[in-house]
This record gives sequence, structure tokens and C-alpha cells, in this order.
Amino acid sequence: MGTALSAKTIAVSTVLALLPAVALADTKIAAIFDLTGGLNIYGIQQNNALKLAVDDINTKGGVLGAPIDVVSYDAQSEQSKYIQYSNTAILKDQVKALFAGLTSSSREAIRPIARKANIPYFYSALYEGGACDKQTFVTGSSASQQLSVLIDWAVKKYGKKIYVMAPDYNFGTISAHWIKEYAKKAGAEVVGVDFLALTVTDYAPTIQKIQAAKPDFVVALPVGANQTGFLEQFAAAGLKDTIGVVSTNYGSGNQQVVVSPEAGKGLIASQGYFQPVENPANAAFVKLWQAKYGSDTPIVSEAVDVWNAVHLWAAAVNKAGSADTKPVVAALESGLTFEAPNGMVKLEPGSHHLRQNIYIAEGDDKHSFKIVETFPDAAPTYENEKCDLVAHPSLAKQFTPEDQ
Amino acid sequence: MQIDYLATVLLSSLSSASILLIATIGLAVVFGLMGVINLAHGEFLMIGAYTALTATQSGIPYVLSIPIAVVVTMAIGATVEILIIRRLYGRLFDTMLATWGLSIAFYQLAVLIFGTVSPGIGMPRYSLKIGAYSLAGYPLLMIGIAALMGLFVYGLMTRTVYGMKARAAIQVPEMAQAIGIESSRVNTLTFSIGCGLAGFAGAVLLPIVPATPSMGFAFVIKAFLTVVVAGPVTLTGSVLAAIGLGGGASITASFLTSVAGDAFFFLVTALLLWLYPMGISAKWRRKM
Repeated sequence: MGTALSAKTIAVSTVLALLPAVALADTKIAAIFDLTGGLNIYGIQQNNALKLAVDDINTKGGVLGAPIDVVSYDAQSEQSKYIQYSNTAILKDQVKALFAGLTSSSREAIRPIARKANIPYFYSALYEGGACDKQTFVTGSSASQQLSVLIDWAVKKYGKKIYVMAPDYNFGTISAHWIKEYAKKAGAEVVGVDFLALTVTDYAPTIQKIQAAKPDFVVALPVGANQTGFLEQFAAAGLKDTIGVVSTNYGSGNQQVVVSPEAGKGLIASQGYFQPVENPANAAFVKLWQAKYGSDTPIVSEAVDVWNAVHLWAAAVNKAGSADTKPVVAALESGLTFEAPNGMVKLEPGSHHLRQNIYIAEGDDKHSFKIVETFPDAAPTYENEKCDLVAHPSLAKQFTPEDQ
Repeated sequence: MQIDYLATVLLSSLSSASILLIATIGLAVVFGLMGVINLAHGEFLMIGAYTALTATQSGIPYVLSIPIAVVVTMAIGATVEILIIRRLYGRLFDTMLATWGLSIAFYQLAVLIFGTVSPGIGMPRYSLKIGAYSLAGYPLLMIGIAALMGLFVYGLMTRTVYGMKARAAIQVPEMAQAIGIESSRVNTLTFSIGCGLAGFAGAVLLPIVPATPSMGFAFVIKAFLTVVVAGPVTLTGSVLAAIGLGGGASITASFLTSVAGDAFFFLVTALLLWLYPMGISAKWRRKM
């Protein structure tokens, strides 16, 4: 991987040395993902998806009649590297678009850099929602998008008492807020909340508090592989048969592979994509992916989010007839749609978020999922309501439900 | 507060403390007997976990995979001692830097060999019921494992010829050499035993903490602080520090929130180090 990339970089820089930059017709984009470090569970697949999407577009003629070039950086799961490489990509490599980031903190670090340089920036991960910026486009699903359907569904299936187990940073706290909000709408009640640091490996206290609160179901939002220990201990304590477990991010880092079949069976997850989704676009995507990367590791939703981001950007460039920011952003705000592996998606002009299907899936005993229900065309309601970048192009903030 | 809740909190806090102790003991041995802070300790734990996982995946019963993990981590530990640690004796910060670098290399090797996710082996699904509460059985078993581990190390260091040599080699190396103890070989064995204990921990905790390349990070900070709080009498000190810090954090988490539990751990650590800069056992007259 590294050698192929550097050979290409050398070739590109040789050409650059010989020709003035304007003569280079190829359009260059940057990929900054976590290829090493704790977050590479997501970052490697995001990067793979970007390369696959670029290959796919290039074999079909590229953008503006020339292939897309990629400069790739490894953010090493470190916040400072995102800032450093975003600047490098924009200032030195002069890229036309930026595809980067997994965590909300990385996005918040990149967003102002992209705004200042006026370069379209695509953020492709499920997250807590509310990011609003003229240059930023979000292709993952937001917490409210996923939770609105999930909580409703779970209240009907399990009952009205909810316990929340969430990681102790803004993804967890904002998700917990939405859970309370949607619980109220569904006539249900949150009977307890526990926030956990990412390094916690001891879940016994949480499990006791859950038993004391006697909920009908638990909304568990484990981040990273360590937190799958919670699901294991929950099942081992014999609670899984009486208390349901639902999640908006279980599976997003292939947790279903780590969790044992006994503990994983029957867990409910809701996301914008699961590999078993059935449609022709997904069949073609999975085939393409497995031909290049093999079938050992299931494809995570963030990979599809990146695939969609690159295709939407390419469609916008071709539609605009230019890779310059102003016409591309205008084209991105023209109500673009894309036949994605997760069904038809539509980029909302005002909020720069995706209208997309939300799937509810149930874990089986073979480290995989089966889709139990599809909520088609779920809108990013909260983002649409708060953030209208067509009417207010100078908006630049992250809305959180606490502002209300 | 009902009595059954109190009983479960007490039991599970004891098991939390035991898990911390299991993860810490190898670090304590290496630090206490060699004065080496092994920042790759967490990665030895990870190697133990992956060894046990690979062994079980190839059909070996889980119980037998644990000694395999110990042998593998001991062998790697001995190699690391001969190649790296031996050259840095008495240079505390250099060994920290070297073992930290080693931990990054081991981490990335694990990613390259095993990928970012591997199937876990799951936890035996027996549980204990106390009143209205039920507790997963396997974590409770760790109380017994931690006790056995502590006794084993205590016996090894105080009742065997190796133990006497090991303590002699680190306390007065010149004198030890003068009476015919080959201190470099003893140190290799000590470091190797420390790594083997980490490997044992990784393997025995595998059902609770699934094997991932980054699993070491979750343990190493708390294990490290436990050893620092323990001070020079490493074994007894570590047992007390693990029970006090780990158990206390778990009780706090049960009655308040998990964040409060973590805060308890770090605040009490800071307080103890302020009161006892050399560790709680600085003035004790015990040897282990």
C-alpha cells in the first residue's frame, strides 16, 4: 500500500517539477484518516473506501475528463496530526476537496481550516449531529436521525423504561439528550444514565445500576473495542433475556465480530448501513470491495459514508464543470442524489447532511446482522431545522440541543 | 439501600480490584526487583490475550491456552531483556523511553498480524444471584485467581533460591556477583517472569476484555499508578493499592457514576503520592 502510493507521489511530483501547475489536468483530493493507532478500526476502512471510490470513478472517466489524484495521510489517531495534514494538503498539495476525520473532535479541528481555505470538506462518520458550515458536508447519519426511529421502535418492542450507557464525551452526552427527548415523545421515560470513560474495562457497577433501575431496555453506545466488554458482561450476568439492548453505533466498528455469538445474538443496532442490506447498488459495491480487500472483515457504515461522499463530490464537479469551490458547493447544494449501497441518498441543500435510509438490524449468532426493518428516506430533521446554509451562508457552528 | 445491593457492590468491587491486581502484578515484579518501568507491560498483556485467542481458535481448550500464553510471553520477554533492557540498567528514563517505543512497535505488529478486530471467545454464562441482583460469574472467579497469583509470586520470591538470588542481584549487584550469582541471567529471568505474568493476565482476562491491539492502553495507566502508589515493597503494596484504588473506584462508580469512579481513582492516587511521595510502603520493613 505504502509503496504504490509513494511511487505515485514521486511520479506526480516529477510531473509537477517539469510543468507549471496549471497544465496538470488531474483533480487532486486529500484523504486523511487514522491508518494507525486506536481508531484504525474505522480509519483503514474509510481510506480503503476512498481509494475504491476514486478507482471506480476513474475507470468511468474520472471528473472533468481526467482521473482523480489522491494524496493520502495517516492521522495516527492523533488530533494534532489532523490539523497538520489538513494544512499540508490545502497549502502544499493544493487539493480541491478534503475527505477526513472520524471523531467529532477531529471534525471540529478540520472544519475551521477548510472554512478559512474555502475548500469543500467531507466528514463521513455517524456522529452526534448539528455541525453546520458552508464548506462542510456530512455523509454519516446524525444521532437524531438514528435515534428518532430507534427509540420509537424499541419502546414499542420492549416497553417504556429506558437506561442509557454512553461514552463520556459529546457523542455520548448529546445522544443521551436525544434519547430523553424521543423517549418523552414516545411516552417513555429514561430511568438512568451512566457515562463511561473510554478506558473503563470494569462494567460491574454499570450493570448493577441497570439492575437497580429495572429498565425494559438499555440504549448502549459502546465506542471502541474495549467497551464491547460491557455487552459481554451484560450477557454473562444473564440480563440479556429480560432486558433488551439497542444501539446506534454497535457494529460501526465491527463490534459484532468481537462480541461472542451468545452475547451478540439479539442485540439491536440502527445505522445508515449494514453490509447485509439488500439492493443492487450494495451487491455491486460489496463485490467490488471484496475483490480488492477480501471478505475477512465486514464493511462498516463509515466506509459507505466515504464512498458516498466521494461520489457526491465527483457528481458535483461534473455537474458544475469545474473543481473550484464556489461552483462545486453550488452544485452540492442543488439537491444531488446518489444511488448508494445504503439505498438512495439525497444531499440536503440547506443543512449539508444526507437524507438516507436508517436500518434496524438484529445481531445473529454468526458475528453478523439481519435487517429487521428499514426506515426509508429518513431526514436529518434537527440539522434541517437549525441549519440553512442556503439562506445563511455565513453560519459556522455546531448546534447542540442544549442551545435550545 | 437494600442489603442485596450492598452485597453485590462489595463482591463486584472486590472482583474489580482483583482484575486490576492481576493486570498489575507483572509490572510490580519487574519494577520492584529490577527498578525497570516496563511501559510495554500493556502490550505483553495483549500478546498473552492474542496467544490464548489463537490457541483456542486452533482447537486447544481455553484452560490449556493460558500456560501457552505464559510461555510465549516469557520467551518474548527474555528476548527483549537481552536485546534492550540489559543495556539500560540504572537508566530509568531511558528504559521507559525504550519500552514505550517497544509498545508502539508491538501494537502495530498486532494490527498487521491480526487486523483491527478479532472474534472474542465470550464469557462463560454462569451467574450468581443475590436477592434481586445477578452477577456474572467469571469476573468473581478473578478474586481467587488474583489471590493465587499473589501467593505464587510471594512464594517464588521468598521461598525459592531463584527469589533470593533475584532480590540479591538487584539490591547489591556487586556483592551478589562476588558470591557467584550471575546477576545478568537472574535479571533476564526476572524480566521474563514479569512478562509471563502479564501474558497470564491477558489470557485469563480474555473473556472479560476481548483481545484488541489497543487493549494494553486501558490497563497500563492504572497498573502503572498502582505500582507507583505501592512503592518499594511492591507485592504487598500493590495488593493494598489495588484493593484501595480499584475497589474504591468501583464502589464509587456503583453509588455515583462511572466518571466519579475514575475521578476517585486519580484523585486518591494524587493525594497518596502527595502524602507518601515514595509510595505507601516507603517505611515498611517487609521485603516483598
